[in-house]
Amino acid sequence: MNLVSVLVLAGILIAVFAFFYKLYEILWDAIKIPLKKPRMKLDLGRRIYILIRNVFLQGKLFKDPFAGIMHALMFWGFIVFGAYSIDFFYVTIFAHQLFSPGILSDIIFFTVNIFAGIVIADVIYAAVRRWGLKIKRYQGFNGFEAAFILVLIGLLMLTYFVMSVLDMQGLLAGYTFVVRSGAPHYLEPISYALASIIPKAPSSYVYYIFWSAFWIHALDFMVFLIYIPRSKHLHLFAAPFNVLFSTGTQARPLPIDFEKETRFGATDIRDFTWKDYFDFYSCTECGRCTDNCPANMTGKTLSPRDIIWDIRETVMAQGKEYRKNRDNPDEVFKTVIGDPILEKDLWSCTTCMACVEQCPVMIDHVPKIIDMRRSLVLNQGKAPKESLDLFRNIESYASPYAIDPSTRGDWAENLDVVNLSKNPDANYDVLYWVGCVASYDRRNQDIAKSVTKILKKAGVNFAILGSMEKCTGDPARRTGNEYLADMMIKQNVETFKEKKIHKVITACPHCFNSLKNEYKEYGVELEVYHHSEYINRLISDKKISVKALTSDSSEKYTYHDSCYLGRYNKIYDAPREIIGSFTENFEEMEKNKSKALCCGAGGGRLWMQETEGTMVSHKRIEMADKINASTVVTACPYCMTMLDDARKTTNREDKMNIQDLSEVIAKRLE
Amino acid sequence: MVDVIVLIKQMPDLEQVKIDSNTREPMIKNVPKTVEILSEHAVEEAVRLKEKYKGKVTAILLGNEQSSAIMKKAFAIGADEGIIIDGYEENNPANTARVLATKIKEIKHDLVILGNQSADSITGLIPGMLSALLNEPLLGNAGKIEVTGTTVKVTRILEEDNIEIESPMPSIVSISQEINEPRLPPVMQIMAAGRKPIKTEKIAPVISKAVTLVSNRAPRSERKKLVFEDMDKGIPEVVKVLKEGMK
Ligand code: SF4
Ligand code: SF4
Repeated sequence: MNLVSVLVLAGILIAVFAFFYKLYEILWDAIKIPLKKPRMKLDLGRRIYILIRNVFLQGKLFKDPFAGIMHALMFWGFIVFGAYSIDFFYVTIFAHQLFSPGILSDIIFFTVNIFAGIVIADVIYAAVRRWGLKIKRYQGFNGFEAAFILVLIGLLMLTYFVMSVLDMQGLLAGYTFVVRSGAPHYLEPISYALASIIPKAPSSYVYYIFWSAFWIHALDFMVFLIYIPRSKHLHLFAAPFNVLFSTGTQARPLPIDFEKETRFGATDIRDFTWKDYFDFYSCTECGRCTDNCPANMTGKTLSPRDIIWDIRETVMAQGKEYRKNRDNPDEVFKTVIGDPILEKDLWSCTTCMACVEQCPVMIDHVPKIIDMRRSLVLNQGKAPKESLDLFRNIESYASPYAIDPSTRGDWAENLDVVNLSKNPDANYDVLYWVGCVASYDRRNQDIAKSVTKILKKAGVNFAILGSMEKCTGDPARRTGNEYLADMMIKQNVETFKEKKIHKVITACPHCFNSLKNEYKEYGVELEVYHHSEYINRLISDKKISVKALTSDSSEKYTYHDSCYLGRYNKIYDAPREIIGSFTENFEEMEKNKSKALCCGAGGGRLWMQETEGTMVSHKRIEMADKINASTVVTACPYCMTMLDDARKTTNREDKMNIQDLSEVIAKRLE
Repeated sequence: MVDVIVLIKQMPDLEQVKIDSNTREPMIKNVPKTVEILSEHAVEEAVRLKEKYKGKVTAILLGNEQSSAIMKKAFAIGADEGIIIDGYEENNPANTARVLATKIKEIKHDLVILGNQSADSITGLIPGMLSALLNEPLLGNAGKIEVTGTTVKVTRILEEDNIEIESPMPSIVSISQEINEPRLPPVMQIMAAGRKPIKTEKIAPVISKAVTLVSNRAPRSERKKLVFEDMDKGIPEVVKVLKEGMK
């Protein structure tokens, strides 16, 4: 071993130690601090699939195509460069190659050469995006860190090229004791091209050029290794695991066992799971979540990125303290609510799931926000005033409205509908779960009536629960009052069991999501259909036929995706197919399907005032107006309420209509 | 230290009371009972005073075994002790005040807090009657309560100005709705309230028949239940119907 190998070996050992020591610390935190357990199932097939799709193929990144391509190339470049670097240091330390010449080493050295070129272009493009084009989501934080990383990556690639070009020019023969040399031209085409353009350096300079490049390259790599786990680049390590460990129940809060648990919701960093810690470690600060957040878009201070990042910083700081002072956890762990996370931001969230959908590393923001709401509601009785009324109503009247629950089925009077609370022994095949909004709200009762008309026309033998139907608990749950939600869920589960109900249709995506995905955890398995799926099937099975829109009609339809139907349950096509069954006068709005903009009502926000910034629903109506839609079709009573209101308050009553899917079909039944 | 007795009234849930279309009397038999709105504010205020000045809050409720849910609500908000007086179900202010006064006299207290009038019968008589029966001053319609030493000061919030009055304790304070916003009790407290014992005391009061209920009926109203679906045609039709109605 020569002096260079000894120095490089020492440097690498230090860097590797520093790298793993930090990993050890954060893993220690993730294992020792959290008190809650995530919902974990083996689910091997799904895990392998998402690992390949979202890590190796970088699937979720392409939701932002330009940044996606850039990142994917950087990522693949990194993998080959990793292999190359292992060989590089192996040669320096042991004076011969790790990958002996052959197909494998040929592939590595060839791809590295190509990718090094691409990565340099990438670095320039990234810098232009951030500081030249000033893309919004990068603004306002950690510019230094981003710049530092780009310089490190850029220098690593440049110095690689310097050495490789020297080799192509045949100038490295004297340095084989530290570097590989004599690569064939076809293996390093970019370097070969450069070598033929750049004049050969005089041999007296080669010494200085080579050693500068060599040391910058080696030190750069070491600094990078030390720096990764201490910066947002921790995601290089954490994100693949975060994807692998994803629970498959994103945006769904964990139930609380009130008999056993004593800490409700998330107050400090102990109230998360180890999986949540991986979420925090994985955040790249890319800002895609905040960029797509309806609250943030309409001038509210809520930023899902900042929520994740703020908790991460808290974990890093309090974790460090706790490792030193393990006897007084209550002193170390201070609440994250209030500072750094503002209460009002927690209440601004519509639980629309846009952040979760966009996050490339599969971070699950929504349950964390709900858990912090739970902490406020369940431990301190704190909630916006309107939510307190909401809770009181659900508790007293089993719905968000202060209306006598015995009148719940009144909308169906004279419609000849089987009401199980009046006629308990009636026969029926499917239960139509109406939901609170369509039961009591005047405008939304039309949805219930239209659904009834369609089902009757198709000859479906259905019944409603009438006054036995109670709020599913969703508004309480999303507003953080799990105690009340738990009560409502249990009462409904009791009814489902007693009445032996299995098959359910509902026109409310919030009810749909609860009944379909969340009631399982309370012991009932239901076969639940949203009316969009059901009606679409009735049409394709020719159980009903729908009058086509005449070709000279000037009507223009668009469809507004409901978050709880779309992102939560991936139902995007059925509603569009229903509209397609009678007209081609259809145009998508900006932001549709998985990128759709929320109406502003989810997460209990339908029952809260929206005072900060502008209204989310107004922004959505403007999008519909931009394409001159005359009818906006919705599939959710919440969306109906918000958009119908927005249409009126923005003076668009004359030119625009909001109609539920069931209404447009009921009107066109033949 | 301020020991407070807070009076809670239970009443039929007004949202669920229907009027019998023949007799025009309210049908309150099977309507669920709920806590009267101002009573909840009264409990909240009593607990806030306790939190500020220390002391004990005793809640008294005229009811029966089914009323325990309402008492538990008071416990969840922070009442220390709860007494349900069972055996009196009438709704006659003079008798109600007498039953309450008998119980209140047995308990050491600095303040008696109650709503200034109930949301169902709206007589507003109880505070005054209690004051007479207990021989304690009444500070009515409080929008704010403060205690210094053995004196209680009450602010009545009026439209144009505020009136402050004070008196030595013990005294009776009736409150108005603006005084506070009842809290949502933390779950731990709700669960603890469920386990807390409630004292139920049977009584057989001497009922005075000086004032009796003659009738309790809703004014006759007829709904035509006309629905106008079409906006454009609907408005002239509504105007026509209104014009005819005015004739
Ligand atoms: S769920 Fe929607 S509103 Fe809430 S933080 Fe995420 S993007 Fe914003
Ligand atoms: S949470 Fe996800 S989308 Fe948001 S900044 Fe972090 S990595 Fe990006």
